[in-house]
Amino acid sequence: MLVLGVESSAHTFGVGVVDRGKVLANEKSMYGISTTGMVPRNVAQHHIQSANAVVSAALGKAGIDIRDVEGVGYTKGPGIGTCLQVGQIVAKTIASKLHVPIAPVNHAIGHIEIARSMSGLRDPLVLYVSGGNSQILKVLDHTNADRLHYSVLGETFDIGVGNMFDSFARHLGLDPAWGSSVEKVAANGRYIQMPYTVKGMDFSFTGLLTHSIKAIGSHPREDVCFSIRETAFSMLCEATERAMLMTSSKELCVCGGVAQSARLRWMLQSVASEHGARFGYAANEFNADNGAMIAFVAERMLNAAVRTALKDCTIEQRYRAERAEVFQ
Amino acid sequence: MSAKEIARGAEAIVYETRIAGIKVILKLRNPKAYRVAELDMQLRSSRTKKEAKIMSRALAHGIRAPMLVGVGRASICMEKVDGKLMKDVRISARTAASAGALLGALHNAGISHGDFTPANIIIEGSGRLCIIDFGLSEITSGPEEKALDILLMKRQLAKRLYGGFTRAYARTASGSAETLRRLEGIEERGRYQSRALE
Ligand SMILES: Nc1ncnc2c1ncn2[C@@H]1O[C@H](COP(=O)(O)OP(=O)(O)O)[C@@H](O)[C@H]1O
Ligand SMILES: [Mg+2]
Repeated sequence: MLVLGVESSAHTFGVGVVDRGKVLANEKSMYGISTTGMVPRNVAQHHIQSANAVVSAALGKAGIDIRDVEGVGYTKGPGIGTCLQVGQIVAKTIASKLHVPIAPVNHAIGHIEIARSMSGLRDPLVLYVSGGNSQILKVLDHTNADRLHYSVLGETFDIGVGNMFDSFARHLGLDPAWGSSVEKVAANGRYIQMPYTVKGMDFSFTGLLTHSIKAIGSHPREDVCFSIRETAFSMLCEATERAMLMTSSKELCVCGGVAQSARLRWMLQSVASEHGARFGYAANEFNADNGAMIAFVAERMLNAAVRTALKDCTIEQRYRAERAEVFQ
Repeated sequence: MSAKEIARGAEAIVYETRIAGIKVILKLRNPKAYRVAELDMQLRSSRTKKEAKIMSRALAHGIRAPMLVGVGRASICMEKVDGKLMKDVRISARTAASAGALLGALHNAGISHGDFTPANIIIEGSGRLCIIDFGLSEITSGPEEKALDILLMKRQLAKRLYGGFTRAYARTASGSAETLRRLEGIEERGRYQSRALE
């Protein structure tokens, strides 16, 4: 089924085209994060202005006409309300114009399922790390195979690890203000002691953030950047390792924006090897927010005959991953 | 001296061995290859120190826990407690109630255990319970940590046992009313409910 997916939950407006699980196009336009952070209204405006061009670019890339589209998907949530609305409206417009079915997709499930598919893992423990989210998930109950869903085994008590890096980068005046900039500065850093908070399979990042911001004045920048990264990633690895043991997982998958970090992937590979587990992840374009993952999940939903009336195509800012049904 | 590995957790490897003919448990926090060396050593030694400190505190309050034999930089040596892990037996009403009283005593001693599950309780021959694994424990009097201890055990107990467990806890722990109210609050938040493993 030729499905077009629209993603707009945060700073990226993305459109992807998928056919039988194969990605034919994955185009996007990103609202540039500056040192001032993100004003939702401005981001939504960016999305409105880019929508038409990004849809056209995706169709062009896939080599199809809009009339070839057989189904549409969009991000229902979680995300920023005004931003989600733009994708919702674009998708509903296309679906009603073409008289094709439409599927509301959970953003986290988009990241997870496309990473799972691309890494060739069957039943992995998943570490999902993005701006607003940091969670450890697994499908626990396979007995009821016609209603699969992920369970959250552990998660952040406060902010997502991505937002922690973004906000730290803003305080350092880095441009662009996000994690990869922090990692560049971290290159030659040395470790200084930082607050480390893991409780079982849960973790917290605000203490680390506050301490790191305070440390900027009194320590070399590269040392603070190095230490905030090493501490945050070590926390994630420890909680993940505990979850792996508890669920006896032999597969580990990382996804979401922060999964683009080579350092985090190296650390998780080490955790997996320690327990004889396979480790996998998707290419960076699918870890950053993108439309292809939404099209990917939407196609599976539509193939499973999930039908949602246009009037029920809502958005939900706090749409949690465990509430979304998963289709193979 | 031959040491037999009996458990491998996320943090530590546990061996059973003999020192001067006495059976002991040796718990080693091994280095993690993924962490930078400074952080790795800092975590392993501070947690070992804390585990020993809180275990001693429990013992000093008359709570049945393994006797401490010795503490190294990232290793702890303790009495080997004979018996069966609570997770490996069919739990009786009496055991569930004893577990409630045990948790109450820990909280009265200002200790939140952090991993209060049937995997960390040994039932000795006499039926007495011994609490082990203070690796995630904290010295605290906060209702949140205490409520989380109860919740962790609740998730693992059959429904018919939970009432007896809680009643024994409430009889033993001072300030239990506030803790149980907090527990209700946590469960209403939903977050933990949706994550339950059943
Ligand atoms: N003092 C002890 N006496 C007898 N068995 C013990 C003792 N300490 C630990 N064990 C055994 O080792 C296992 C793991 O030890 P524990 O301290 O719970 O470490 P962790 O759960 O962090 O790996 C326990 O489940 C128990 O079977
Ligand atoms: Mg244990």
